[in-house]
Amino acid sequence: MIEIENLQKRYLRKHVLRGVSFTVEPGLITCLAGLNGAGKSTILKAIMGLVPVDGGSIRIDGRETALHLTGNRGQLNRYRALKVAFIPDRPAMPPSMKVGEALRFMADFYPAIWNEEKARDMLAFFELGEGERLGSLSRGTAAKFNLVLGLALETPYVLMDEPFSGIDLFSREAIADVFSTGWLEGRGVLITTHEIREVEHLIDRVVLLKDGVVAKTFDSEEMRLAENKSIVDIMREVYRP
Amino acid sequence: MQPDEGFTFEFNSREPVYLQVVRHFKVWIATGRLKAGQTIPSRRELAVLAKINPNTAQRAYREMEEQRLIVTEGNSPSRITGDERVLRSVRSELLEEAVDRFLELIRPIDVSTDELVALVRQKHAARNGGNSGHD
Repeated sequence: MIEIENLQKRYLRKHVLRGVSFTVEPGLITCLAGLNGAGKSTILKAIMGLVPVDGGSIRIDGRETALHLTGNRGQLNRYRALKVAFIPDRPAMPPSMKVGEALRFMADFYPAIWNEEKARDMLAFFELGEGERLGSLSRGTAAKFNLVLGLALETPYVLMDEPFSGIDLFSREAIADVFSTGWLEGRGVLITTHEIREVEHLIDRVVLLKDGVVAKTFDSEEMRLAENKSIVDIMREVYRP
Repeated sequence: MQPDEGFTFEFNSREPVYLQVVRHFKVWIATGRLKAGQTIPSRRELAVLAKINPNTAQRAYREMEEQRLIVTEGNSPSRITGDERVLRSVRSELLEEAVDRFLELIRPIDVSTDELVALVRQKHAARNGGNSGHD
């Protein structure tokens, strides 16, 4: 489990996170939602150790990983890399690289956790060719390729930052289909998205951020069962003034 | 059980997805599209087929097992039950649900049972190619 507790983050005068607490559980898809600038990406980056936080704790399978609470950065980075895969919302590899070269890079860089077979299966699923140059991929195709790079890492947790943002309808559908496959099986997935309708049927839990704290957390099926409300209904209740 | 055989899923966003999956199966059972004893997809296959979360597929199957719509023995694939009583009750359950919804819809309209039944008989006959009478 990833346990986020009382996370605090300021950017200059802006107090973005004012004590955020929630968990990411194995085997569940958790969606972190919030309006623009609510700090969703900051939370993902904090979990990855890419931005320092000003307070609070981030435990990954019991081990504290918040930078301000722990020493030995190198050891921590290795631990984190084995536990969590991060799928960013923009290309993470140089544009001059070809698809096949990027796969070889991953295999060399993450020999212990890279699953070549899974990567090949996903390439075929998305109809991606190994000879294609990363710089010439459309935004939708680049987003799919990011997913291949992240999901082929055998980590217990996966973070996805806006996987549907700014891409065409069919790419969005293809990416949503990944959530129905066994590629995420047993893993704890944390996804941020504006396009909640794309994943309404696919997510297990919802965490709603508002004004720097978690305004509401719920299980989407239980909410539908108990109150006959969709995720979008609840978001309207929480965010509409 | 493939989409090209007409097994397609449509979901609304306010009812639990697992119950909507169960309803799809009930309709296919009631209409004879799924037969007694027929093998159904694995949970994993169902998730891909219906484009849903595998956890939801799992929950739908658990629900169908509890309602005795499907049976799973050991490691073999799940099957539609052979229990005639269960199969018949699926049909009457769906019919009753539909009639309840219909009655709820027309509640504001002032209409006698006789008028209603006459209208239902006429429309039903027209849909079935004009031959009124039985069925």
